[in-house]
Amino acid sequence: MMKPKGFTTRIIHTPYAKEDVNHALHQPIYSNAAFDFESAEQMELAFQGRLPVHAYSRITNPTVENFELRIKQITGALNVTALSSGMAAVSNVIFMLASAGTNIIASRHLFGNTYVFFESTIKEFGIETRFCDLTNNDEVKANIDGKTVAIFVETITNPQLEVVDLASLAKTAHEHNVPLIADSTLTPPNVFNGKDFGVDIEVISSTKCISGGGTSIGGLIVDYGTFNWSKSAKLSSLSKKFGPFAFNYKLRREIFRNLGSCMSPFAAYLQSLGLETLQMRFEKAADNCRGLAGFLESIPQVKAVNYPGKPGSQFEEISKKQFGDYPGAMLTFDFSSREECFSFMNSLELIRRATNVYDNKTLILHPASTIYCDFNLEIRESLHVYDTTLRLSLGIEDIEDLKSDLLQAINKLQ
Amino acid sequence: MGSILVNGKTQEVELPISLIDLIKKNNVEQPEMVSIQVNGEFVDRSNFETTQLNENDEVDFLYFMGGGSR
Repeated sequence: MMKPKGFTTRIIHTPYAKEDVNHALHQPIYSNAAFDFESAEQMELAFQGRLPVHAYSRITNPTVENFELRIKQITGALNVTALSSGMAAVSNVIFMLASAGTNIIASRHLFGNTYVFFESTIKEFGIETRFCDLTNNDEVKANIDGKTVAIFVETITNPQLEVVDLASLAKTAHEHNVPLIADSTLTPPNVFNGKDFGVDIEVISSTKCISGGGTSIGGLIVDYGTFNWSKSAKLSSLSKKFGPFAFNYKLRREIFRNLGSCMSPFAAYLQSLGLETLQMRFEKAADNCRGLAGFLESIPQVKAVNYPGKPGSQFEEISKKQFGDYPGAMLTFDFSSREECFSFMNSLELIRRATNVYDNKTLILHPASTIYCDFNLEIRESLHVYDTTLRLSLGIEDIEDLKSDLLQAINKLQ
Repeated sequence: MGSILVNGKTQEVELPISLIDLIKKNNVEQPEMVSIQVNGEFVDRSNFETTQLNENDEVDFLYFMGGGSR
């Protein structure tokens, strides 16, 4: 069979791991828990990892595996693991690498739940997080020490929309024998490949655009096999036996299965289906984002518009280098006050008030009063989350309809 | 003839034998997904044809399930 090169073609024509007996054109949903074996000997080999078969769906499942194979096909990763959510991907990776007494260098700008995970959840396990300005290499270097086990960054931070020079950050990380972990949720695989910029592991909330636009909850760990795990305190002994597979071995045989982080087969089916149209949907949403950024800038009541691809943005150049023509499908904009933000949101008729991003529908949210509601004003401002800011995640609607809705809501402001 | 250790069990084979021939001889399932260690070292897939096995070599066929090793 010819080897297709196109992004979407490769997804659609990724072969199943095993031929389907009924030649189904979509991988069937295997919703069962356990799988039968022909003999005790076969069962033993399977448990040793010496047979390519499934035993129990919390560990592996054919429908989930098909989704993983498709992601592997388009990323070129060494290993891909699908999980129950994006936060499961984040937490699994951190529990893989960190232990009490170690530390993680993380961006000072993080998705709210990730921030709480670092700032509170793992702190209670004795793991320190050093929040830094990752655009400042000197600050990163000053915070790395012999106990640093990872640098964690978001490719576009949410909702600050900051973009870090990943190649530069990777160089610093690797000089200190530390892997670079990137949450690439806002820059899906059709516009960004972490390996090209020195990222060792990507974590992705596939709930967003990969799923088909918010159809189901899921996460991904994309392991490029690039990091030398002999340099990792936790993985050095496994590295002697499994080389570049050391991370995947411990993940699949211990952390992932023991935390019960598996993706459901039904979610895997939906996300595999969603993946088939990812490129078309994301390009449309990103085009909408670019168009609306310019539109909002022309409106006097709007005090500021933030979008990494905006001409003149401090992140325009690095966004172009890392994400090409599609620097995300999310923007933020500011009014004069929180009250004005609320009033504007309440007047919208088409755009939905919801907390997801990269749905097929355009979604709006006031970050300070929702995702960051548990933080006081001082912490919110230190995270650059302001009462005057709204976040708009672009869907795939026709842009003129979106403009009309924004305009009618703006016209209702006093 | 000579003996090698395959997945922990002794096997009598004509030596030398290439990895690709050993895969065929053992009817290894989904050979496109298998990773192979010889004496504890992973062998790159592109070297399966040229890697020759010798007496007492230890061979492990491994599958890293979930996205596999394809």
